[in-house]
Amino acid sequence: MNGSIADVCIVGVGAVGGILAKQLTSAGLKVVAFERGPALKTAEYAQRDSISYIARPDQLEGVRHEPRIFRTSTTQPGNLRYGTSPFNVLGGSMLLWTGQASRFMPGDFKVYSNEVASGLADRAGVDLRGYDVVDWPIGYDDLEPYYERFEWEFGVAGVAGMNPFAGPRRKPYPLPPLKMTARMQLFGDAAKRLGYHPFIGPAAVTSEPYRPPAPYDTRIPERPACVYCGHCNHYGCHVNAKASTLHTAIPVALQTGNLELRTNCKVANITTDDKGMATGVKYFDPNGVLQEQRARVVILSAFVFEHVRLLLLSKGNGKRFKKGLANSSGLVGKCFFGHGDMRVYGLFDNFIINGFIGSGAAAMRIDDFNGNNFDHTGLGFIRGGTVGCSGDGAPVSRMDIVPPDVRSWGKEYKEYFMRYYTRTFDIHMAPETLPRRDNCVDLDPRRRDRWGLPLPRVTFAFHANEKRMHLFLADIGERIFREAGASKVWTELPRPSPTRQCGGTRMGTDPNHSVVNGYCQSHDVPNLFIVGSSVFPTMSGYPATATISALAYRTAEYIERQRDWFH
Amino acid sequence: MKMKSQSSRQYRGERLQALTVRQARFIDAIAGRILPATDAPGAVEAGAVFYIDRALAGPYPHLLSRYTRGLRALDKHAKRQFGASFEKLGDEQQDSALGDLESGKIAELPNGEAFFELLRTHVLEGVFGEPSYGGNKDMIGWKLVGFPGQQWGYPETYINKAVDLPPITWEGLPKKPGQS
Ligand SMILES: Cc1cc2nc3c(=O)[nH]c(=O)nc-3n(C[C@H](O)[C@H](O)[C@H](O)COP(=O)(O)OP(=O)(O)OC[C@H]3O[C@@H](n4cnc5c(N)ncnc54)[C@H](O)[C@@H]3O)c2cc1C
Ligand code: SF4
Repeated sequence: MNGSIADVCIVGVGAVGGILAKQLTSAGLKVVAFERGPALKTAEYAQRDSISYIARPDQLEGVRHEPRIFRTSTTQPGNLRYGTSPFNVLGGSMLLWTGQASRFMPGDFKVYSNEVASGLADRAGVDLRGYDVVDWPIGYDDLEPYYERFEWEFGVAGVAGMNPFAGPRRKPYPLPPLKMTARMQLFGDAAKRLGYHPFIGPAAVTSEPYRPPAPYDTRIPERPACVYCGHCNHYGCHVNAKASTLHTAIPVALQTGNLELRTNCKVANITTDDKGMATGVKYFDPNGVLQEQRARVVILSAFVFEHVRLLLLSKGNGKRFKKGLANSSGLVGKCFFGHGDMRVYGLFDNFIINGFIGSGAAAMRIDDFNGNNFDHTGLGFIRGGTVGCSGDGAPVSRMDIVPPDVRSWGKEYKEYFMRYYTRTFDIHMAPETLPRRDNCVDLDPRRRDRWGLPLPRVTFAFHANEKRMHLFLADIGERIFREAGASKVWTELPRPSPTRQCGGTRMGTDPNHSVVNGYCQSHDVPNLFIVGSSVFPTMSGYPATATISALAYRTAEYIERQRDWFH
Repeated sequence: MKMKSQSSRQYRGERLQALTVRQARFIDAIAGRILPATDAPGAVEAGAVFYIDRALAGPYPHLLSRYTRGLRALDKHAKRQFGASFEKLGDEQQDSALGDLESGKIAELPNGEAFFELLRTHVLEGVFGEPSYGGNKDMIGWKLVGFPGQQWGYPETYINKAVDLPPITWEGLPKKPGQS
């Protein structure tokens, strides 16, 4: 298709790009998809070894070429960070994800109306100066059918109706829950005794061999059941029980004959014409030579940092895009956020837990302190986070977890680790962060990647709303652990940099205050789409993948309907 | 001559790839305090020093100079405090010298805390990591804590029940990733 015009160019083939490729090629559109990394075989990413994936992620081929800069204030130069979001291979970070596959709650889409305009924030006694809280332009009901499609195509295991705070659903989960583990049992029983509402968190991990039935996409190949190997979070799954586009959507897209997949190709720029429309992309081919591909529609599905970087780098020729593409609002890169992931640890003298067994996504959770599910009066913050059991991991993942009263080396440490490695788990919280313009991604003025492009630079700090929430949630986790019978309990508050990043190209109805509309379509450049967690105007106490997948299905359907774009 | 430089890199029956024999011996002395042998074996027995050697010869060559500088400063500190080389000190004196390193109290070594953290991390990775990286000999580290290694899977979730499976490495698995 070189030289000719593709119907659609997709930039980045991870979770979102894989779904888009399947849906659009199936609708008969000719798609050229660019993926900066290689197509790996299972044996090349699923060795499940803790030195490569836990101790040395900076050495992974899919990570080491594109670090980012992180700093907590504009006065610092910032440090290099190597992370697996994104993991630059075909299939993206979904090869290494945990598989926690919750839908957002209905209230997550209406934070401004429900919590700010309603006066709740005032009653909570929170000072929201500096924050920029808005509603999503779409709601839970708009996404519900697409959440369902995601769950049935990727095989989500769970129990519908068990979480009283979840939004309504038309269909149950396609798979029964994974087997109970010790941490699920201890957490669930304790949470229940405390009057909370524990439920089995939905996991995109096959509890039984699974192939989607009709009316879902029956071309998706069967996947075997999880074998509970326990090398899940941060590792590739050796049996493909953990859902990834690499073994579901991407092979189906290729089968249509409408997909030209260009791996090891790094998109560097989005090209535009003088009418302000996108015309295609420029990319470095596997030999590092800059090439061009023209297209009628360009979709970015390259994750947060690359979305911001590509837009800021694509200035076109004239004046129109001198602040960067799709950036008339000046909001590209702004309102970046993520979870302030935190953990409470507990040790058990009377219970063997064996946390190294089972999928990390197989968890008991409570949503009693998520979103707007609890009374915030006088608490000094709004919003919250999901709370659940966790603590999977080989010894290398666990060796730095030491109670504050134990020295981290020597005989005392050895005795501690020998006794408790099998007798511990974590309570994990994913506290939400509210959007602010001063939390942002831009281009580093000095440091460049191996293609000579400036590295993305993150400037981020937690503020008052988050800090109060973190302390509040720590207290909940500690209470559950004590109820569960832990003999020692301690908390690790969030590290400075947020996890499960989102924002940077926020969605909204007003072109002056957002970058894309409810269909992830650029307000400024109508044939440019930006899909992924970068469009979130506010986040949720849940991770993003179910929601960005739903957005991908919905956006694909919208694009398919624009028949006159494609002649 | 060539023969000699080859054999001078032999240490505990293995050929060192980045460290000198002196450095290896020094690191072993430290490893023996970070995770000492008790009734059960420790970091020396697990061969953590070989993990470090391979790390410095492989992906982290730029850390070798940090090791060289750090070890030299720690030895100097030992001599000044206790009148002998670190390796010659008793356990308590060694712990005290390492404690000084950990709290950044070694004058010649600005940011000594970070060097201690590096040492600790490397030693423990050398005990608990996969044996193919040079350490965790005979899966000593995994046996210490009761981790059955890179099992293909588990037939059950072992709730409140010790796992009685002998540890296994990826190389030792009857099936490998990609085969089902
Ligand atoms: C260890 C870990 C655990 C996680 N656990 C969970 C979880 O339990 N639940 C959950 O919901 N989420 C989880 N996530 C997050 C989840 O993986 C992401 O939400 C999801 O993969 C994002 O999908 P994406 O398509 O937006 O980006 P990605 O999957 O990261 O894909 C982006 C793709 O774009 C490619 N790309 C980037 N730039 C370019 C370019 N310039 N040219 C060409 N290609 C490019 C990349 O190589 C990559 O393949 C986890 C992530 C990690 C790393
Ligand atoms: S625990 Fe299950 S899903 Fe996770 S890597 Fe192992 S087999 Fe795959």
